[in-house]
Amino acid sequence: MKLLDITQKYGCATYEYPFAPYKVADGFRGKPEYNYDKCIGCTACAVACPSNAINVELNKTKDKLVWRFDCGRCIYCGRCDEVCPTNAIMLGKDFETAVKFNKEDLIETGELELQYCVECGKAFTTKRLIAYCLENFKKVGWSESVIKEKTKYITTCPECKKAKSVELVSKYYSKGVKK
Amino acid sequence: MSKTYVVPTEISELNKVQDKLNLIKDIKRSFSVFRIDCGSCNGCEIEIFASITPTWDPERFGFKLVASPRHADILLCTGPVTRHMYYPLLRAYEAAPDPKIVVGYGACGSTGGIFHDCYSTWGGVDKVIPVDVWIPGCPPHPASTIYGLATAIGILDQKLKKVEHKDGSDKAPKIEDSIFGNTLFEREVMEKAREMMGYLHGRELYKAYLKVLKSVEDIYNPVKTKQVLQDAIKQEEDPRFRECMMTLHNEVYLKHLKRFKNIDKLHPSICFTKKEVELAYD
Repeated sequence: MKLLDITQKYGCATYEYPFAPYKVADGFRGKPEYNYDKCIGCTACAVACPSNAINVELNKTKDKLVWRFDCGRCIYCGRCDEVCPTNAIMLGKDFETAVKFNKEDLIETGELELQYCVECGKAFTTKRLIAYCLENFKKVGWSESVIKEKTKYITTCPECKKAKSVELVSKYYSKGVKK
Repeated sequence: MSKTYVVPTEISELNKVQDKLNLIKDIKRSFSVFRIDCGSCNGCEIEIFASITPTWDPERFGFKLVASPRHADILLCTGPVTRHMYYPLLRAYEAAPDPKIVVGYGACGSTGGIFHDCYSTWGGVDKVIPVDVWIPGCPPHPASTIYGLATAIGILDQKLKKVEHKDGSDKAPKIEDSIFGNTLFEREVMEKAREMMGYLHGRELYKAYLKVLKSVEDIYNPVKTKQVLQDAIKQEEDPRFRECMMTLHNEVYLKHLKRFKNIDKLHPSICFTKKEVELAYD
């Protein structure tokens, strides 16, 4: 009888979870939630991800950049959340991630439009990233004319930029020798 | 890993999806769960044993851990299947009576997780034997364990579906206007907030601090800004936020204001003195 008194005092310790929703603690690291509209395709999350759950690569026809997240491989470390410049990926509260029979259900993808280099025509980043940079220049207070000048620079791929600057430098030095 | 296991025909014939569904439907007793550790880090084991405690009580649904694979209906496989645990896993798989439900548990069990390209692992249970249910997580929360097992026997429905986002606009996401007309200020506030409180609380601090600054009428007046901030800090419950807000004011706001105005950064009517910062914890 004493035992019954003790159980009555403390009540039921079991969570009613599957029959009632379970509230997770503050700061719980659940499934990362991806906001496609905010994603600029900078690939910072793919670089930071320690288990390669996030991959960013070209699609089969090589005309779009595909952001791909595999929930099965995610270890919920929150590094993608930490590095994302636009908060497009944030750890949520979702813990009900089990799937049955089909593993593909764990996957989330997002396709982004590619930006081609104005010099050589090779794809090197996404259009959204360029738009985001230009928007940032505006907010920092650059004038329209300066931005127009920089737009050409920013839409050139790194290799062409390198070649161009080498060209400029060699021109400058050859002039110096002639004098 | 070159060797691949081919499921013998006498096992695969008895393990079709329909057989498994029939087992779930016709079973008139508890589900016996056998746990196989295929080289896991012990994190998943701890969570499995946490989820069989009275706090979660999976025996409500009839899940019972058993000591031998010969008694098992469900095989709970944890770990990325290391070289040494390859044969024990196969022995347990073949010993379990047909039909059997195989669950890949944890990030390692379902896809290999952090060890997916490691030289000495197979990278997931499903590379070796056919798996029916995947429970991701590193390790899975007891609640997700309960959810996964309940999904396996059809009590709950699966929530996750493959999501494909396509054909979005090329427009950049919105960037909010700056208080000073230069987003470098916001950037520096974010940087300092993250440096002091980490990415999670730093984001909250950034939001709280900017909310206060937006309520200031004349942002170029440091005396009034300090007063408004002081009122806001008094209402803040967390002492860490109180101190960090003062530091943000002293180190970032006043530094940026110096571009527009000639001010004395150390004047007590403008900045928070050392004593005031110390009082944040009282």
